[in-house]
Amino acid sequence: MLITRRTALLGTALAAATPLRFAHAEDTIKIGGIAPITGPAAEAGKFMQYGANMALDAINAKGGVLGKKMEWVVEDDATTNPGAVLGFSRLVARGDCVAYTSSIRSTQVNAVAPDVLKLARPVMFGGTDPSLTHAGNPWLFRTRPNDSFSARVIADFGATTLGKKKWVIVHSTDAFGSNGMKALVESLDKLGIKPVLVQGYTNQQTDFTPVVLAVKEAQPDVIGSYFTFENDLGIFARQLRQLGVTVPWVGSPSIINTTSMKLAGPTLWGTYGVADYNQDSSPEARAYFDEYVKRYKVNPDNQSTWLYDALMILAKAMNDAKSTEPQAIRAAILAIKGYKGTEGTYTFDENGDGLRGYNVVRNEKGQVVFDKHIDFAS
Amino acid sequence: MSVNLASARVWRGTPQAIVACAAVIGLALIAPGEGYYLNILMQAATYAIAVSGLVIVLGYCGQISIAQAAFFGIGAYGVAIGTADFGLGFFPAMLCGVGAAGLLGLILGLGSLRLGGHYLAMVTISFQQIMTLFATNWISFTHGPDGIRNIPRPTLWGLSFQNGHAFLALCFVSLVLVTWMVWRLKTGRLGRAMQAVRDNELAAGTCGINVFATKVIAFGMSAVVGGVGGALFAGGFQYISPDQFTFAESIVLLTMALLGGAQSPFGSLVGTMLLVMLPEWLRFLKQVYLAVYGAAVILIMVFLPDGLWGLMLDRVIRRAKPIVGTVAPLPLLSEHGVESDEIVLKVEGLAKHFGGVKALDGVDLAVRRGSVHALIGPNGSGKSTFINVVTGLYKPTSGRVIFMGQDLTQAAPYVRNRAGLARTYQNIRVFRGMTVLENVMVGAERPGNDIAENPAAVVERALAALDFVGLRGDAHKQVGTLSYGHQRYVEIARGLAASPQTLLLDEPAAGLNMTEKHELGELLRRLKGHGMTILIIDHDMNLVEQVADHITVLNFGRRIADGLPNEVLAHPDVIAAYLGEPRNEAA
Amino acid sequence: MATFLQLLFTGLGIGAIYALVALGFVLLIRAANVVNFAQGQFAMLGAYFLVIGINVLELPYPVAIVMSVVLMAAFGVIFAGATYWPLRHRGGLPVIISTIGASIFLENTVLVLYGPSPEVLPNLFDSPGIQVGPVFMDSQYLAILVSAVLLVGLQYLIFEKTLLGKKLQATSQDKEMASLLGIPVAGMILFTFAYSSMLGGIAGMLVAPVLFVSVGMGGLIALKAFAANIIGGYGSIPGAILGGLSLGVAETMGASYISVPYKDAFAFAMLLMFLMVRPQGLFGEKISEKA
Repeated sequence: MLITRRTALLGTALAAATPLRFAHAEDTIKIGGIAPITGPAAEAGKFMQYGANMALDAINAKGGVLGKKMEWVVEDDATTNPGAVLGFSRLVARGDCVAYTSSIRSTQVNAVAPDVLKLARPVMFGGTDPSLTHAGNPWLFRTRPNDSFSARVIADFGATTLGKKKWVIVHSTDAFGSNGMKALVESLDKLGIKPVLVQGYTNQQTDFTPVVLAVKEAQPDVIGSYFTFENDLGIFARQLRQLGVTVPWVGSPSIINTTSMKLAGPTLWGTYGVADYNQDSSPEARAYFDEYVKRYKVNPDNQSTWLYDALMILAKAMNDAKSTEPQAIRAAILAIKGYKGTEGTYTFDENGDGLRGYNVVRNEKGQVVFDKHIDFAS
Repeated sequence: MSVNLASARVWRGTPQAIVACAAVIGLALIAPGEGYYLNILMQAATYAIAVSGLVIVLGYCGQISIAQAAFFGIGAYGVAIGTADFGLGFFPAMLCGVGAAGLLGLILGLGSLRLGGHYLAMVTISFQQIMTLFATNWISFTHGPDGIRNIPRPTLWGLSFQNGHAFLALCFVSLVLVTWMVWRLKTGRLGRAMQAVRDNELAAGTCGINVFATKVIAFGMSAVVGGVGGALFAGGFQYISPDQFTFAESIVLLTMALLGGAQSPFGSLVGTMLLVMLPEWLRFLKQVYLAVYGAAVILIMVFLPDGLWGLMLDRVIRRAKPIVGTVAPLPLLSEHGVESDEIVLKVEGLAKHFGGVKALDGVDLAVRRGSVHALIGPNGSGKSTFINVVTGLYKPTSGRVIFMGQDLTQAAPYVRNRAGLARTYQNIRVFRGMTVLENVMVGAERPGNDIAENPAAVVERALAALDFVGLRGDAHKQVGTLSYGHQRYVEIARGLAASPQTLLLDEPAAGLNMTEKHELGELLRRLKGHGMTILIIDHDMNLVEQVADHITVLNFGRRIADGLPNEVLAHPDVIAAYLGEPRNEAA
Repeated sequence: MATFLQLLFTGLGIGAIYALVALGFVLLIRAANVVNFAQGQFAMLGAYFLVIGINVLELPYPVAIVMSVVLMAAFGVIFAGATYWPLRHRGGLPVIISTIGASIFLENTVLVLYGPSPEVLPNLFDSPGIQVGPVFMDSQYLAILVSAVLLVGLQYLIFEKTLLGKKLQATSQDKEMASLLGIPVAGMILFTFAYSSMLGGIAGMLVAPVLFVSVGMGGLIALKAFAANIIGGYGSIPGAILGGLSLGVAETMGASYISVPYKDAFAFAMLLMFLMVRPQGLFGEKISEKA
């Protein structure tokens, strides 16, 4: 059928007139969430959905929130900042969400932060940029330990436990990597150590030879890293081994991600990661792991656990407060002490940070083996 | 009775613009003041501003720019860094950002000096990528990938734009003003120059347009407009980061321009709205929507060739009405031609070698004032090369070109035109995207022409030229709809409108039928009667014999004969050149 | 010195990938005057076909490659029909936009069908690589270099030494004349799209073990490949190769000796330099308009 011009024009006009369609408001408690359904982090979006499903099943099985079922309404953020802002504002425009979840990517949380402040409703997030909870925004709550802690754990484990003093830091030049690097340099400094090389790289590289050669030349006895994307990690790891660098390596959580381990294979064996989530760190974590594997046939990682914990905490807070009013939820979250989630035991401080420590795990021939948990009081 | 300018469609639309401003302010007040719809509208408005910048450089001037997001970003960063780090107010910071964008745009335009098409596109892409890398990695200045947040909204004369409605109104009013300016540009002198460059760069040069300067200005203006959009974007979303101004965004902006119709700022508005809304409408498709979006782009390109605006315009196009009213005739018509011995155009020892090929091998020629001088020769003898060197399209290998006493050997084509040399082309070079009248106006408004600075007089002069060639009635038609012969007349009119001292005609009779050739001969005789000096290249011996006072013959790049027509045409060398040596007949 | 040699090898390896993709570009530019923004997605598709062949269908590596190549050829024809054919008379820009739309469509369709998890592919050869003195030569990079040379040779043979090649050249230089001479222009163009698609797919298959297979793998490579085209000489086949190789080496060296984060900037700075100083690239010919 030939599309005549008239038809095309008519079609466009009709489409322009179509209002946004909202789902009929069933009687559920809705939590709005943005997630990367498309874009480079699309896989994380998939895992987030899994985590959300598990949380909702757990919550609704126990009677839901205030007697109603809880629902997670998701909008695509396309892994971009503008996408996050638009997705989030679309959720807000629905008008029926009592609380929200945002992103594990700090740059996106930053992007929606002004809207969150105006919205004045609780928003849970998983990004680790420490400044997110120190920017004067009372509505942001973090269900992962932030990077000031990951850096301290990396430094502590590498320098104290492994006893290594010649450090090389490899980091992504994006927000996450740069902040992580800064935190790590600071933590090492407190231990009296200055890194022999700090090497940044831009995300989505095709080749890491220059980085590897620089590392090799610096002759470190330990590598600390903040990698954002698993692809980069995989390529770097392979080339690192090809060029003969075998020193211990303690990396940010991406090193222990399911995807990284799959991509890099044997080249990541023997490396250490700081992982906010590890299945052997607690009985709750173990239970989550077993259920997740049973349902989805793949190991869970922190891409889903932060969201699981976030939804569980929101449900708990609303049930504790017996209300869905924003201030009430907020007060209830801040009142949470010693709640055992999958990522750890939550005690919220007045900034909205619930966790203050990390697990150190080891990649033992493709299996993640729990080593120890390091916590800080503040 | 003088011509009504409005009928010549040179109106300015000022009252309409004011009304539009008022209307959009009203719109902004009733639109949502926050949330999803506000964000969409702000994004659409600021992007539309940036896209109208593309209308200037791409639509009008025909230069591909895939760096518009970079300029958008520079404007945004100007506001963000200026307010956050330097404590400037919003508008001063915006001025810095827009200024920086403009400056870089001009520099990027310099890249167009020797390149066009795909090459220029790559230059712009490189520029875009380098900008993104700096934004991400120059952390001390740009805050790096963290981006900059808490960007304030402006306060002006006590009026605060903090409120969503107010800022949206600001965006809308800016959009109206930018659209109006871009639209006005099209019907102004600079706009016509840009379109001439787009449609036919070589001809634009020989019509007195400084092609390079025009391109650079187009880039500069486009960058400034992009910067304005970006500055407002920063104020609107109050948070910016480098990944909002990447190559992918430049592609989005380019696609918006092309889908809407790059020739018109209204088209770009439509395209922007569509491409901002389309992903949002398709959200319900969840994962599939970007795939559908990609397919939609292809479909729109295939089925809507002139963009959406072109589609709508098709329905609305007015019939071209003839312009009534008398105008002052061409100034040259008040002169009476007298042949004199004064040499107007003198060419000495002109040589042009292309590698080993000697297209011109030392040619001397002298054209006297008021005469019709014909240059003939067999195919490949160098006639067209000759005229191209004389008009500046090629640089000669050696020799001199002296026109009206000025040595123009190394001068650019537009300089020669401004000195009084006008030409037409063998393969007609009219500006296809413009009307007949606009084509001739380009000639009339060449810098240095007596009436060039007066828009009304330019129109009148153009009409006068059209009167002379008998095409007044076709003034509003798109030049491409005319017959071949008439398009040639438009070229001649364009040349005449520039008040030339000498007219160079490259095979004007090519492609004309018998009647048209006869008319052409008449036209040339009339011109000569008014004292115009003409250098004509042609193959048609009838025409040449009719009009020429003096003939020069070229063969293999050399002059083999020069003098009065009857002498030259009987010259044995000339006959041999055309017909070959006589064969020895068998007895 | 050891560093330099290692960088040189890796630079050549990466450069060979750019060169292969650039080769596919050049063909379409010469035959149909099309700047194909979806060339990177061709690489991505080829890699995914290979993944299906090896990981899902568990075919032997060479068989999977052949299957992939055949599928890419078929895809090339479909692609031509959808994005190029309806717009062939409308000039360069509409086709460019159409290929942009195609690139978005392809990336996201694969995302929907296959999912976002990146895939791993084994090297073509079992050995991970060989150590030659101070330089480690990844076997896959070697495979890429060798394949690039072979494919260039093959292309040269076809274009310069066979009748088919002459017909293709004729079509690219003057379609009308070619058709008047009885050359099936449409067929020639479709063949070129199919061949270019195969080339793109092969580039993807070769690079997949090194860069992993993900829907986004094509993007930046294609951009650099296009830059390589320009550096080497727009429309020149040896230029595409040399442009790709030199680009790979330049950015690797630049990254190591100057600055890693600005690595991509070197590629583009190099391009800019060429465009300013020698726009016809290394091998291109100046084409001026006949006035």
